[in-house]
Amino acid sequence: MPLYICNSRKGLISDQTKALIAEDITRIHCQVTDAPRTFVHAFFFEEASNVPLGDKQALLYGQIRAGRTDKQKEEIRERMSQAIHIHTGISKDDISAYTTDTPASWVMEGGDLLPEPGEEEAWLVAHEAKHKQEV
Amino acid sequence: MIKTTCLVQENQISEEQESALRKEMEEFVRSSFDESAEIDWVIVPKNSGFTAGVPSTSVIVSIRSNVILERERRVLLLKELCDIWITETGLSINEVVGTITDPPN
Repeated sequence: MPLYICNSRKGLISDQTKALIAEDITRIHCQVTDAPRTFVHAFFFEEASNVPLGDKQALLYGQIRAGRTDKQKEEIRERMSQAIHIHTGISKDDISAYTTDTPASWVMEGGDLLPEPGEEEAWLVAHEAKHKQEV
Repeated sequence: MIKTTCLVQENQISEEQESALRKEMEEFVRSSFDESAEIDWVIVPKNSGFTAGVPSTSVIVSIRSNVILERERRVLLLKELCDIWITETGLSINEVVGTITDPPN
């Protein structure tokens, strides 16, 4: 978590371009929120029915941890839409982006509940120490 | 019905593993929430899944609870859920993401 799902029309985004967009999604999310890169998942689909495209060519849906400010969420949507536009040539009017909030305590990753926003560093230290002990 | 979504990478899970996981998920949901699971098995196409900006080996399993869960109860359920996947697939603990959400308001 976060999980970003990018849904697009068939054939619009090549595999090479997906890798570029995924890198941008990861970088932007981490820059805006200070989350660790290992938390960021970006999955691509074509015309997936569970994230309907409507009249758009591409749609980005981000399921992110609750606690981000409206300004952060707006920046995420704007910069990620721009990244998709730059890498694919799809008009920004044809790209939609939105996020939903999920409480960190509803998600387990690496065997631990995710940290609240701002507590990532302490979480990572404790997580790594715990798994070193288990190994 | 308890909505259950399993996001897996293409060619990551064999047919035998998928069959076993579906059965175990149904049993887990039945025993945890006293309802049947409605499983949506979603395969992320090859070259289309990324974690930390590199090709992903993560599975993400989401379950929508039918009751509001206390933290301790949710932790126990999440641990059990992740253990099912780690045991059946051989994935590491860092490759399994589990989510159990409360019902919508």
